[in-house]
Amino acid sequence: MPPSDTPSGELLYEAAGLTKEYDGGNVPALRGVDLRIRRGEFVAIVGPSGCGKTTLLNMLGLLDRPTAGTLRFRGRDLTALGDPASYRARDIGFIFQSFHLLPNFTIEENVQIPMFGLPGAPAARRARAVELLASVGLSHRLDHLPVKLSGGERQRAAIARSLANRPSILLADEPTGNLDSKNSAHVMELLQRLRVEHDVTLVMVTHDRDLAAHASRLVEIRDGCVVSDGLTS
Amino acid sequence: MNFLQVIFRGLWRRPVRTGLTVLGIAIGIAAVVALVGMASGYEKSVVNQLDTIGIDVVVSNMQGGIMPKAFEETVRDSIASLPGVTAANATLMQMLSVEDAPMMVVYGREWGSFTWEGLKVLDGRLPQNAEEPAVVLGKLAAEVLGKKVGDPLQIEAADFTVVGIVDGSSVLENGAVNLALPRFQEASGYEERANFVNIRVEDGTDVEALCTAIEAQHPGLRAVASGEVVGTSQGFQMARAMSWSTSLLAIIVGVLGVMNTMLMSVFERKHEIGVLLALGWQRARIMALILCESAAMGLLGGIVGVLLGAGVLAVLETTPYVRGFLEPDLGWSLAVRAVVIAMLVGVVSGLYPAWRSSRLSPSLALQG
Repeated sequence: MPPSDTPSGELLYEAAGLTKEYDGGNVPALRGVDLRIRRGEFVAIVGPSGCGKTTLLNMLGLLDRPTAGTLRFRGRDLTALGDPASYRARDIGFIFQSFHLLPNFTIEENVQIPMFGLPGAPAARRARAVELLASVGLSHRLDHLPVKLSGGERQRAAIARSLANRPSILLADEPTGNLDSKNSAHVMELLQRLRVEHDVTLVMVTHDRDLAAHASRLVEIRDGCVVSDGLTS
Repeated sequence: MNFLQVIFRGLWRRPVRTGLTVLGIAIGIAAVVALVGMASGYEKSVVNQLDTIGIDVVVSNMQGGIMPKAFEETVRDSIASLPGVTAANATLMQMLSVEDAPMMVVYGREWGSFTWEGLKVLDGRLPQNAEEPAVVLGKLAAEVLGKKVGDPLQIEAADFTVVGIVDGSSVLENGAVNLALPRFQEASGYEERANFVNIRVEDGTDVEALCTAIEAQHPGLRAVASGEVVGTSQGFQMARAMSWSTSLLAIIVGVLGVMNTMLMSVFERKHEIGVLLALGWQRARIMALILCESAAMGLLGGIVGVLLGAGVLAVLETTPYVRGFLEPDLGWSLAVRAVVIAMLVGVVSGLYPAWRSSRLSPSLALQG
């Protein structure tokens, strides 16, 4: 029985025949991917550059729409959602390789940005941002602009931001791709710790096999297809 | 942090460009304020003048625009005989270049008529009779012409002597040159002609019925109660239309300027918009952000524009073309209207950029 079928956790994602094509079908990115992800899992999606890892992650976060196939989240058909903003705001936390912090806002403000879509007073937003930044060790950097921070610090701030709305899933796209080995190790440790503390499911795209070894499950993609799916040793 | 701070942070990211756009709107709004302020100032000057002199009904040939065509001055006699009319005086009014002044209002008033009554003599005297080649200058006119009592003054080709300086209690009266009607008719070539008959009526007179009677008696002339002169005059309507249509051009230029800025901003911030979408911002919120930024630029431009316009009016008021001729009018109503127009300019200009921003695909936008 594949790990995605482990009946221990609630079924979060269920993708069937997920396909994505660009340029009117001339450039296939995903070819009929079937995937199930359960609550509490730490899934690493690996594969060479251009194999469709990020495309799959974008589908899960509804940053892009599939060309064919179905994608369900907690039983709800995501492809039928009109505006996925609420889904992204409430259920998903994104972590990007390039951090994608807004340059004109301080770190603390950056963490507040996702909270604008949800109810809450400015003071509550600020308190939550301060709390999250403290949990990633950036209490002393609250008023700094991203440009004043090191790469590792920026990614820690981005991780804090991803947790702002208490999501159930973190989607991380090469979270250590722009970091040196020391910072990579710190960020991985942090992700592991926060995953447990905040009880979130982590789906991480990486091409780094060592990093993928931190995950509980490894999904390998080649040429837009899942070629292996199993527990890590 | 609140949404307002997010808006201003967006504007502050390119301070020079934001500043230049705001300045562009401000110049457009200043033009609106100056032009409309001048037009309404002229209207106000006329209303003040009629009030000051105590005119109840004005008869003129309104076909001539701001300066009505002249007609036989004997019209005054037949109007004077109508019931309810206590006084009717013929006046010839022209806007002329007088010596070094490029534009002055010159009145030929019937000697001894009530239109002289409101002129308070500050220096010298009024003309002694209708034949005397004498002029009386309003205090602003004296200042503009640099004349004092006893100085000669040439109007068209005729020579006169300044015999008095007067305070007429309205800017039009104070900026005018006054002389006896026959002398001005002679000098201007309008012998036995006038272009206004000013009427006073008995209390309780049905002014509307009187006006109808005058118009029936003199087809081609219009009789208007003094309070309605501004609203019914083709000249004022034309001046108002011209000032607003010129303002409209300035506003269109403003709209294009803001739209260009906001479109550039949306293109430049594609990545930022992609991040906001990925972080769960609704497309409507992003549209609101762009629209609010645009409206905020409009608001700032409006405020700066009103101040700039007020400055322009203050300067214009001192120029010989305007001084003594009209009193620019910048009231709260015009200032508020100008700021509201500027905000609307901002909102309208932001609509297309906001729509463009809402169409961005987050995955593509994140790629930059």
